[in-house]
Amino acid sequence: MTMKIRRLNQRTIVGALTLLSVCLLWWAATTTGLVSPMRFPTPAETLDSFNQITFEGYGNATLYVHVLHSVKLVLIGFFIAVGLGIPLGLAMGYSPSVEAFVNPAFLLLRPIPPLAWIPLAIVWLGLGDASKVLVIFVGAFVPSVINSYTGARNISVQLVEASAMLGIGRWAFITEVLIPESLPMIFTGLRLSLQAAWTTLVAGELIGAAYGLGHILSQATLDIYISMIVVAMITVAVLGGLMTYLLGLIETRLMPWRKG
Amino acid sequence: MSTIVFDHVSRTFQRNNHDFLALEDINLTVNDKEFVAIVGPSGCGKTTCMRMAAGLEFPSGGSVNVAGSAVKAPGPDRAVVFQQFALFPWKTVYENIEFGLRAKGLAEAERRKIITHYIELMNLVGYESAYPNQLSGGMQQRVAIARAYSLDPSVLLMDEPFGALDAQTRVVMQEELVQLARVNPRTVLFITHAVDEAVYLADRVVVMTPRPGRIKEIIDVKTIRTGEKWDSYKKIEDVMDLASFVHIRTHIWKSLREEDERTLH
Amino acid sequence: MNASRRALSGPRYAVLTAGGLIAFFAIWYFAAWARLAPPQFLPMPHQVLATLLRLMESPFSGYTLQEHMLASLQRFGMGFGLAALIGIPLGLMMGWFRLLDQIVSPLFNGLRFVPPIAWVPFAALWFGTGIGGPVLIIFTGAFPPCLINAYRGARYVDTYLIEAARTLGIGNFRIIAQVLFPAALPSIIAGLRISAGLGWMSLIGAELIVASSGIGYLLVKGQSAIDASIVMAGMFSIGVVGLAIDIILRLAEKMLARHK
Repeated sequence: MTMKIRRLNQRTIVGALTLLSVCLLWWAATTTGLVSPMRFPTPAETLDSFNQITFEGYGNATLYVHVLHSVKLVLIGFFIAVGLGIPLGLAMGYSPSVEAFVNPAFLLLRPIPPLAWIPLAIVWLGLGDASKVLVIFVGAFVPSVINSYTGARNISVQLVEASAMLGIGRWAFITEVLIPESLPMIFTGLRLSLQAAWTTLVAGELIGAAYGLGHILSQATLDIYISMIVVAMITVAVLGGLMTYLLGLIETRLMPWRKG
Repeated sequence: MSTIVFDHVSRTFQRNNHDFLALEDINLTVNDKEFVAIVGPSGCGKTTCMRMAAGLEFPSGGSVNVAGSAVKAPGPDRAVVFQQFALFPWKTVYENIEFGLRAKGLAEAERRKIITHYIELMNLVGYESAYPNQLSGGMQQRVAIARAYSLDPSVLLMDEPFGALDAQTRVVMQEELVQLARVNPRTVLFITHAVDEAVYLADRVVVMTPRPGRIKEIIDVKTIRTGEKWDSYKKIEDVMDLASFVHIRTHIWKSLREEDERTLH
Repeated sequence: MNASRRALSGPRYAVLTAGGLIAFFAIWYFAAWARLAPPQFLPMPHQVLATLLRLMESPFSGYTLQEHMLASLQRFGMGFGLAALIGIPLGLMMGWFRLLDQIVSPLFNGLRFVPPIAWVPFAALWFGTGIGGPVLIIFTGAFPPCLINAYRGARYVDTYLIEAARTLGIGNFRIIAQVLFPAALPSIIAGLRISAGLGWMSLIGAELIVASSGIGYLLVKGQSAIDASIVMAGMFSIGVVGLAIDIILRLAEKMLARHK
């Protein structure tokens, strides 16, 4: 037990030291001019920009407004995608007929990267929020379907036989056996969908938006405001990590029967 | 009258493009409320017989009837206890037992009565809200048995139910099952490869041999059991010490050994 | 309720698959014919095909379709190759040298949450419209799976293999090259497949913003011309090439599995 604690501590310490030394390196390299301030901002500048955008605003609004806007679009696209994708995936996994019918369309559309839909979405829906949501939907849809499908296909034969023996009806089987059994895979799909949603959002906003984190990035690029770029990138990373973490929490709450 | 009738049953599998005869001409009648055990080495088809009675598999030739009608699909009238328990991990002990009862359409009060009864009977009191992964193997199998019994099935099918348990737990479960079977008699088809277990539990023991699966002989244990009053002994080791027990057990071992030697040549 | 998921008979499967394919195109044709949107927005499938062929004949925005695709593939090759050349050895070494793992991991995990697309501003600032920009972005997309899979493959090698090598007195780096690498190969190839997919997606994203040639650039130009058939033709080509890359790597994976 103590070995484990010691190892954990060692890992944390080295990790913390590394991050600390990276920050130091960052500060040293940029302040002394080793790395041209034109190429990368100093920690101080980054902090300044962060303050600016948080309190005064940049690119039409404060950081809070931008974050809210981005998160809103991600959630809308994400929920539509999983709301449609999970039932479809489960249906395809449960019924070979459904799978055979839906597969062709799926195979045709799947190889097209979600980002490649952005120009088409803009042609169809303009530069507003709707096109972003469409692209987020496309990005988040596929992982949900695939993982739900895998979950449904891999349900244990024993449980299916036990359900048949117990005389469980079709609806009860779907809600009380198929879905709980597939939940781990469904959550894997949710995680991947969320990542994809986030990525496609940032890309969509980079290309054309009035608000949002991607917009900050593109505005800062035009203004050659490097430290603001870094602020935006860090915000994107932090938010992405936070949402994934929250999803993990939900997963643990929802499946109390899993060991550890 | 819940009898199981195997009438000239055969089962053929397709393996690598040729037919593989797993069972050949099985004829067996399990009488109403009789406890019949099938013993035999792995691959003799004993589990396949049980699965055909359960409606999880179907004969290639001949027919399997339960309570007069042909078996067409699984159902709660032929409850199954699986070797790997087959409990639903996301349901508590109570919910696992309740699942089949809800499917039957029983009202909540009635379900509660039945479940409580079997939880007491199977020594599961206090564990109603536990999840399967919190329970030991023996406890999980108790839940599975409770689940099967609570359905009030005409026929009980058990597929090596104690095979996944350790030796000590197995003994305890055998003693409990004997109590249950005497108190709550039902038509039971019990599959095992452990001869001791079969002789201890069953009214009749069917000896099967492999390649292809055939019934070699059927031994009547009940007459001897009642005659020698095995049930007067509470502990399993006392019964297994009796000369009459040893005699039957040895006879079955020899019978199986003959088959071993036959197939080796 | 079925006690098992019954496989579909051959003819039934064929009929349903064909049905699905027909339904897909039927819906498309109908939507276009019913003029749910003007033909510029929603061309019929055969019009897209015609445009595809036209783009292969005559240049659009500077080059023909093939030339654009070649430019894209060049960038992809460089970014992907770089990711593999750095990621695989680094991952193997991290799997072997615990200290290296502890130093690099926190850095890596932090940067992972930055979507590749968010590197576009820096790519633009550091490389202008040169080839470095897209290559950087492809690299950030393709790098994580290469690293992670090499790392995992090395970490979970049978200890007896390592002990055998140790008793023969083989030095650290030779162990990595001659023991860890072959043992981790299946994991590495699986990682390469994922990596190629992500790299391809990142390429498209990059070309939507910072390129003056390439298939992504073609999409953007089609979008500004408000010509959906060009965009769709481009999307189709992207899908086909992406699929081809995946199939090639899948074959490599199979061939490797057979060798074992």
